[in-house]
Amino acid sequence: MSKNNEKVAYEFPQPAKKVTLSEFIYDPQNGTFFGRTGKNWGQLFFFYTIFYIVLAALFAICMQGLLSTIENDKPKWQLESSLIGTNPGLGFRPLSEQTERGGIIQFDARKDAESDYWIELINDFLDDYNNTEGRKVKHCDFNQNHKPTDVCLVDVNDLKGCSRENNYGYKTRQPCVFLKLNKIYGWNPEYYDSPANLPNDMPSSLKQRINETNQLELQQIWVSCTGHYGKDQENFDGISYYPRQGFPAFYYPYLNQPGYLSPIVAVQFSRLPNNTLVEVECRAWAKNIIYSGRQRDRMGSVTFQLMVD
Amino acid sequence: MSTQHGRADSYRVATVIPTDDDNRTADGRYKSRRKMPAKGPKKENLDDLKQELDIDFHKISPEELYQRFQTHPENGLSHAKAKENLERDGPNALTPPKQTPEWVKFCKNLFGGFAMLLWIGAILCFVAYSIQASTSEEPADDNLYLGIVLSAVVIVTGIFSYYQESKSSKIMESFKNMVPQFATVIREGEKLTLRAEDLVLGDVVEVKFGDRIPADIRIIEARNFKVDNSSLTGESEPQSRGAEFTHENPLETKNLAFFSTNAVEGTAKGVVISCGDHTVMGRIAGLASGLDTGETPIAKEIHHFIHLITGVAVFLGVTFFVIAFILGYHWLDAVIFLIGIIVANVPEGLLATVTVCLTLTAKRMASKNCLVKNLEAVETLGSTSTICSDKTGTLTQNRMTVAHMWFDNQIIEADTTEDQSGVQYDRTSPGFKALSRIATLCNRAEFKGGQDGVPILKKEVSGDASEAALLKCMELALGDVMNIRKRNKKIAEVPFNSTNKYQVSIHETDDSNDPRYLLVMKGAPERILERCSTIFINGKEKVLDEEMKEAFNNAYMELGGLGERVLGFCDFILPSDKYPTGFKFNTDDVNFPIDNLRFVGLMSMIDPPRAAVPDAVAKCRSAGIKVIMVTGDHPITAKAIAKSVGIISEGNETVEDIAQRLNIPVSEVNPREAKAAVVHGAELRDVSTDQLDEILRYHTEIVFARTSPQQKLIIVEGCQRMGAIVAVTGDGVNDSPALKKADIGVAMGIAGSDVSKQAADMILLDDNFASIVTGVEEGRLIFDNLKKSIAYTLTSNIPEISPFLAFILCDIPLPLGTVTILCIDLGTDMVPAISLAYEAAEADIMKRPPRDPFNDKLVNSRLISMAYGQIGMIQAAAGFFVYFVIMAENGFLPLHLFGIRKMWDSKAVNDLTDSYGQEWTYRDRKTLEYTCHTAFFISIVVVQWADLIICKTRRNSIFQQGMRNWALNFGLIFETVLAAFLSYCPGMQKGLRMYPLKLVWWFPAIPFALAIFIYDETRRFYLRRNPGGWLEQETYY
Repeated sequence: MSKNNEKVAYEFPQPAKKVTLSEFIYDPQNGTFFGRTGKNWGQLFFFYTIFYIVLAALFAICMQGLLSTIENDKPKWQLESSLIGTNPGLGFRPLSEQTERGGIIQFDARKDAESDYWIELINDFLDDYNNTEGRKVKHCDFNQNHKPTDVCLVDVNDLKGCSRENNYGYKTRQPCVFLKLNKIYGWNPEYYDSPANLPNDMPSSLKQRINETNQLELQQIWVSCTGHYGKDQENFDGISYYPRQGFPAFYYPYLNQPGYLSPIVAVQFSRLPNNTLVEVECRAWAKNIIYSGRQRDRMGSVTFQLMVD
Repeated sequence: MSTQHGRADSYRVATVIPTDDDNRTADGRYKSRRKMPAKGPKKENLDDLKQELDIDFHKISPEELYQRFQTHPENGLSHAKAKENLERDGPNALTPPKQTPEWVKFCKNLFGGFAMLLWIGAILCFVAYSIQASTSEEPADDNLYLGIVLSAVVIVTGIFSYYQESKSSKIMESFKNMVPQFATVIREGEKLTLRAEDLVLGDVVEVKFGDRIPADIRIIEARNFKVDNSSLTGESEPQSRGAEFTHENPLETKNLAFFSTNAVEGTAKGVVISCGDHTVMGRIAGLASGLDTGETPIAKEIHHFIHLITGVAVFLGVTFFVIAFILGYHWLDAVIFLIGIIVANVPEGLLATVTVCLTLTAKRMASKNCLVKNLEAVETLGSTSTICSDKTGTLTQNRMTVAHMWFDNQIIEADTTEDQSGVQYDRTSPGFKALSRIATLCNRAEFKGGQDGVPILKKEVSGDASEAALLKCMELALGDVMNIRKRNKKIAEVPFNSTNKYQVSIHETDDSNDPRYLLVMKGAPERILERCSTIFINGKEKVLDEEMKEAFNNAYMELGGLGERVLGFCDFILPSDKYPTGFKFNTDDVNFPIDNLRFVGLMSMIDPPRAAVPDAVAKCRSAGIKVIMVTGDHPITAKAIAKSVGIISEGNETVEDIAQRLNIPVSEVNPREAKAAVVHGAELRDVSTDQLDEILRYHTEIVFARTSPQQKLIIVEGCQRMGAIVAVTGDGVNDSPALKKADIGVAMGIAGSDVSKQAADMILLDDNFASIVTGVEEGRLIFDNLKKSIAYTLTSNIPEISPFLAFILCDIPLPLGTVTILCIDLGTDMVPAISLAYEAAEADIMKRPPRDPFNDKLVNSRLISMAYGQIGMIQAAAGFFVYFVIMAENGFLPLHLFGIRKMWDSKAVNDLTDSYGQEWTYRDRKTLEYTCHTAFFISIVVVQWADLIICKTRRNSIFQQGMRNWALNFGLIFETVLAAFLSYCPGMQKGLRMYPLKLVWWFPAIPFALAIFIYDETRRFYLRRNPGGWLEQETYY
């Protein structure tokens, strides 16, 4: 009746011997370090070395394949097909390299060390703009045509109160902040070509400014800054823009031209309240710049804080 | 309903083979308890059980008994006294085993396993958030969000496992709904019918056949009373009970009947001497519930695995926390890194996956009649290396059946199979006709009504088990027995009694021309033979000479040696001149001949093995499982059944067999020569632990007979001491301590007592031992598949952790976020991991030995090495490659990324320059980063396709295994669809920060998926070609 022709001899299993830590590290009886003999470790090491070399090679081949599809001078995906999109934001200087300080510019005008810190940062930033030697740059103007590949000169000698000689206003409690529009490869502004159809939320001072501008000079991306402080969000004025309140359109498009520098606008705050944190928001204006002021979703604008003791 | 259990022993003495074994055995069995050295933690329990036998209610005189309980044999207790007793002692019911409170169970699920680690992560999140909230005006809510998600994950998985657990325990609830028992009680001279719970000490109760004994009673009056003690002692034959004190041992003496045993015949009146938990059965049940069962093997494995993973998580977390400090990170950043590493390291969905896999298997087993009470027990059968099986009802049909007949001087085999597929015999010979006439007429058993459609063998019969066996046999052979009896009207009858040991009846014959009466008699063969002078052979009546007696003896010995219960049959035609029609037969003062009769033949009965059992035993054998029979029954019967089902295989001899063959005394035989052993409970009592170990170690085929509940326990403990994982099957109360102690107790669903079901982890709904084989198979399969499932799930840990490490060490923007990690662990990985539970076995898992619980771990270093060191690394490479592709294509070339992290994550920096001079606002580069997270996530899904396919097999090629697991194929599609949904569904940007990907960004991971597939196919090819080689030692998990 029984059909045990395929018997498996069963032996009761025994629990493994308990090993002490020192035995685990080195067991002279079996010659094992950490549970393996030298030969065993060698084999394992060899296996994993080969394995990882092959894996690294595969990765390298793939990376090589990736790099071969990528050009050196222009991004593979541009504008709307790239995640950078078509909506440039604004950047500001001076920006502390200590990122944990955030976007605050704080100094005591009476203490040279504190204001010099910011002056030095601006000096570094403007270095490129001042050293024009050896670069093929063109003096551009609103009324002359130029090829998109041309590089237009950004003149930083006409910044008046925000000049280097003036210490950018940092010694006189009238600090300047330099704004620039983010470079996006191939992006062209659609400027407001008529003072008649300006957006409603544009500050009236800027509207007035636009109205005063001649038709030719309308080809600008306008910039406006607003500041407020205190609990009741008091607004303040005394903001001036050099060399002009906008970025001329002839600087665009950015095509990764060698020697290209972003146009800048220096914003001077001449009537800052004492010892109070001022929240400043600067905004760029063009038909194709969408604005969002939400903290996590900021578009077409930038914020920073000023505090002068 | 109780008579179906009837294993009445009208002819018990008749079956006693000429061995002087029996008395001593029974005696010794109980003495053994007293002498048993109680050891270790079991001491108290064993002592308890011993004390319970130290009662004297059976020894004292009835008067003293009435005195003690202030009761009266005729009038019973007074109502007042009964009420007082009830208040003092509580209801007469077993205290259900202590249940863990529900909230404790819930908390265990909420804080066990990985939950603590995740709670720590969640708390760190909240701490980080509250610090951020207090220091900055507009805090990033990432941490709050993540904290909430983590808490939700823990709570949801906790609730899920609690739900699964309570669902499987609910199955048990249904068993608890016992039919309320009633008892007939005499109080103040009145007969009352009370619920059995309301019985108190001293109550006088009346019991009749078919009742369950409502409490332990001392019998004061009995008429032909018999009880079936099988559930208590394992004896398969009913015991007669009366008022007389016959034995010191309470279990042996005739004047005690015990709670929960069944009365099968007669009536009795008794005084309740103990109630509820104090009854013998209550004590055994208490002993069972008091036993510490320990963890199931799979629970051990899972704990081992959780420790391993937690260790890795804590080690990595702390290491990188310290590294982050050394690198000069802000401590809050370091905390956030810690959270990330914990989240990446913990396979959040894995425990739920394991639960679901076990549930699926449990369901599959339930559909195959194995009901699993405790989910973890699903796997236990798979690792079982020893099965201790009860005999009656598990291996056998628990139904006496005629197995052999002896007439015309030859032994004829009857058909004992359940479906009547066995041998047929000649039913026309005069010898058979004569024998069948006696068996039909001298038989009081009758079929119960209302069972027309039921097959004859399954019909319920009222009456003695042996008579029922004869009735069924005759019904099968002759047809309508009732009609035959009607035609041969019974005139007179002397029922069986223990002094005569025969039963005789006188009938009219159906031959109307023959006015003579027919006397038929059956009983103990030697007693019947004594009363005969002639023997009916081949149609002729011959003188019963010495030669014939020799033939009779040989047949009797042979049948007895098969463990069968033998009955002798004789008849006699009463001469019509002395006993004319209408003669008044007097059965009290016998006025008819009961000597010089005509001997006709023998019939022998046995409780035959179930048809599927021999095959099942053979399968267990080939699966390397030792099957040990542990029974309360007699050694000869036990051995016969063991031989017929293959527990003792053909050609294997016991020490006694060898001694007999070589004709030397037993003591001279070297026990090591005998592979098989039949160990008597009486011997066991004198055996030391070492000797028991020796028996278990050196004999491959063992039968323990006449064992007590404690001895069963000791046998189980002995096997466990040797490192075996023990399954115990049984149905009686006496099995329940062993069931509880076993790694997996298997109770019988139909015949099993409630106590045994309570103690067991698994219930065989069809009472069939063969179902155990299914259980073993399923258990082994799920263990293999869990390994695969865990290997699959753990692999994705490396591509989850490595982004964080790169983030900290290389200062690159984070390639994979915590939320996306959760999407993998709890989203895309879940269904495929579960689907591996449906994977078919790679090879015949029933042809390999059970796993070695000490070395063959669920998660071992080889699995970790494969998942983390090899496949995981390829996956991480795939993820990083996709990350670099997206970064580079958008403007950040790979080298540009290193060291950019601080600027990247600073909100103040609104103009971060890329490799092409483009300047990125914070918003845009975060969009880019989250797109990279999504792409990294998608790439993990892509490489997990390959991982899932390679995890299907551990040794075979996928081309051998095929893709027939449709659950798994569905899993592949499911994870892809889910990943696409998470990436493309509008709103995900806000909710989970998942961004739509360009279609081409799905492809960079594909070379790596192919690499995984090719690498593993190659690895397994060498594994198969080089069994036991280095590759197997290092990579076969």
